[in-house]
Amino acid sequence: MHSVDATGPGVPARPVALITGASRGIGHASAVALAQAGYDVVGFSRSGESDSSETAELVRQAGGTYSSHKVDVSVEADVRTAFRSFLAATGRRLDAVVVSAGITSDGLAATMSADRFDSVIAVNLRGTFLVCREAVKAMRKSGGSIVLLSSTSGVSGQAGQINYSASKGGVNAMTQSLAKEVAGMGIRVNAVAPGFTDTDMFRRMDAKARHDLTRHIPLQRVAHADEVARAIRFLATPESSYITGQILPVDGGLTA
Amino acid sequence: MPENTEQYQRAQRRFELNAAVRRSIIGGLDLPVDPDLVDDDQPLFGRGLELDSLDTLEIVSLMEEDFGVYITDEQRFVFGSVNKLVDFAEAAQLADNGA
Repeated sequence: MHSVDATGPGVPARPVALITGASRGIGHASAVALAQAGYDVVGFSRSGESDSSETAELVRQAGGTYSSHKVDVSVEADVRTAFRSFLAATGRRLDAVVVSAGITSDGLAATMSADRFDSVIAVNLRGTFLVCREAVKAMRKSGGSIVLLSSTSGVSGQAGQINYSASKGGVNAMTQSLAKEVAGMGIRVNAVAPGFTDTDMFRRMDAKARHDLTRHIPLQRVAHADEVARAIRFLATPESSYITGQILPVDGGLTA
Repeated sequence: MPENTEQYQRAQRRFELNAAVRRSIIGGLDLPVDPDLVDDDQPLFGRGLELDSLDTLEIVSLMEEDFGVYITDEQRFVFGSVNKLVDFAEAAQLADNGA
């Protein structure tokens, strides 16, 4: 089941997608991809973009509306307030959620401070939970689809990323657990696990590291953000109506 | 009790809030029960209204949407009865108002 007889006064005719981390990278590409599929988009980002941001502009060009909310997803009150605000504006309509807000703070395990470890878990894991908790309540009657952002690091681990890998491994377990818990409400929960993707996060690595990593990818290149976004769009829309609890690698064959 | 006293008005607000919570829960859960016939101290779960764990999500959501009250596992006791829900809602609203 997927939503969508949510018509009524003040309820948008187009399906509504919430995307966290919408201002950059995979979140930005997902916002555009879902707008192209006919969705209005609500964006959460730490910066709280203006209406003239690139994401907003591209969503509008695709025929959708875009509303931006300044949210730190690791802060419970921020998430609750933002949900209350945008659901009031959409007449409580919410069809898809993409939880793509994420950070890295790499370092060797032996020297990583507890604060550095916690900071990544707070955004990537706790933040994902906080968004999912509100999303489930909003979707409980009409159903919908939740797509979480995992990573190949969460499947096979990555040296220097004990915090990030642990957070994404947790996201994978969360995907399967939540999928079973909410399937009866018509809510599907899946994750995509990108490998190396040409985003700010990847570009921050030094050139040699990027080259070495790329050599090990069977397709011999990193992904473009929109290639990951297309997989997200598939899982977010009724195109994948019989898929739930799955973690879909989008990694050029890295984990094959 | 004279109608213009604060005590009377407080009792009246409480009466109305109890009724609103009963209507919200019975309507939201689509129960075949007249909200006015539900005892405010009747257990919501178990042998009372015989709700199950899935109904918990609905009640939590309804209390937030209709009354602005946020309930988590730590406040599990509020599911004891309508009166316990309303006690909690009043306390939460007072806290929000800085009282």
